[in-house]
Amino acid sequence: MVVLRGFLVLVVFFLLGEAVRVLVGLPISGGVLGMVMATFTLMLRGRVTDELAAASQGLISVLVLLITPGVVGVFFIADQFAGHWTAVVVALVLGTLMSVFTTLLLMKKLTTEQARGDQHD
Amino acid sequence: MTDQPGGFNALLAAWTAGPMLSIGLTLGAFIVAQWLFARLRRPLWLPPVMIAALLLAAVVAASGLGFERYEAGARWLTVLLGPATVALGIPLYQQMHHIRALWRPIMVTLPLAASLAAFYALAIAWLMGAAPMVLASLAPKSVTAPIAMGITEELGGSVSLTLGGLLITGVLASLFVDWCARWLRITDDRIIGFALGLNGHAIGTARAFEISHTAGAFASLGMGLTGVFTALFLPLAFWMI
Repeated sequence: MVVLRGFLVLVVFFLLGEAVRVLVGLPISGGVLGMVMATFTLMLRGRVTDELAAASQGLISVLVLLITPGVVGVFFIADQFAGHWTAVVVALVLGTLMSVFTTLLLMKKLTTEQARGDQHD
Repeated sequence: MTDQPGGFNALLAAWTAGPMLSIGLTLGAFIVAQWLFARLRRPLWLPPVMIAALLLAAVVAASGLGFERYEAGARWLTVLLGPATVALGIPLYQQMHHIRALWRPIMVTLPLAASLAAFYALAIAWLMGAAPMVLASLAPKSVTAPIAMGITEELGGSVSLTLGGLLITGVLASLFVDWCARWLRITDDRIIGFALGLNGHAIGTARAFEISHTAGAFASLGMGLTGVFTALFLPLAFWMI
C-alpha cells in the first residue's frame, strides 16, 4: 500500500510532464519534464515522504530491467548499420572517449578552482 | 507436428496471447545477467544490460518467438520507463545540497560538454564521409533514449541506428569514465557520476548507482540536463548548418 501511494505520485508527475510536452509543444519527453517538476516540487515542500522515496528507489533499482527490451532490438536491426559500420564505430569510440575526457577535465579544473576560491573568500 | 493439439506452435500462441512470456523472459534474463556479472567479477566492458540483452536476443531468435512478438509483450515493462525517469528526481532532490555546492562548475561544464559530446562524434563521422542520415542518427548519441528518439525523428535520421549508437555510447562511457578518472586521479563520486550521466545516459546512470547514491544522483542530474539541453539546441544547431 505504502509503495503504491509513492508510485501513484510518480505516475501523476509523468502524466503532468506529458501534459506540458503536448500543450507547450516541447521536444522533451514527458518523463524528463515530470522529473524536473518533481524535483522542483520537492524543493518547494522541503521534504520527501517515505513512500515516495521507497517507490523511487524500487523503480531505480530495476532501471536496467526496463531498458533491456530496447537494447535487445539493436541486435535485430544490425543489418541497417551495413555500410556505415566503420564510420559509426570510430565516431562513437573516439567521440565518446574525447567527450568523457573533456567532461572530467572541465569538472576537475572548475571544482578545484572553486575550492581554492572558497578558501580565499 | 505443428497441427497436433498441444504442439509447440499452439503453446507459443497461447503464451504470447498476453505479455507474460516476454515479461518472464526479461525478468529471467535480468536475474541471470546479475548473477553472471557477479561471477565474472563485474567486468566494466560487459555491463548487466548487455549480458541480459545478448541472452534475450539469442532466446528470442532461437525459439521462433521473433522480436516483434517479444517486443509487444515487453512493452508492459518499458512503459514503466516514464515513471522511472520521474523517480530519478527524488535522489536528485535528496542530493541537492551536494549539487548546490557544485552549481557553478556544473553550469559551465554542461553546455560545453553536452555540445562536444555530439560535436566530436559528428565531426569524426563527417570526416570519414558518413551520409547525412547517419550524422542525424548519431547526433543525439549521449541523450536518454526517449528524448534521443524524438531528436532523431526531428533531424531525419534512423531511430534504429540511434538506439544502436546509444547502446554502444552507454557501455563505452561507463568504461571510459573509469579509465579517465583513474588517469586524471579523480576520486570525487560527484564528478564521476556527473560525467557518467552526461555522456552515458541511462546506462551510465545505472552504472553510477552501482558506485554510490551520490554518484547516481549526479548521473541523474547530468542525464536530465543533457537531455533537456540537447533537445532544445541540437535541432537548432543542425538547422543552422
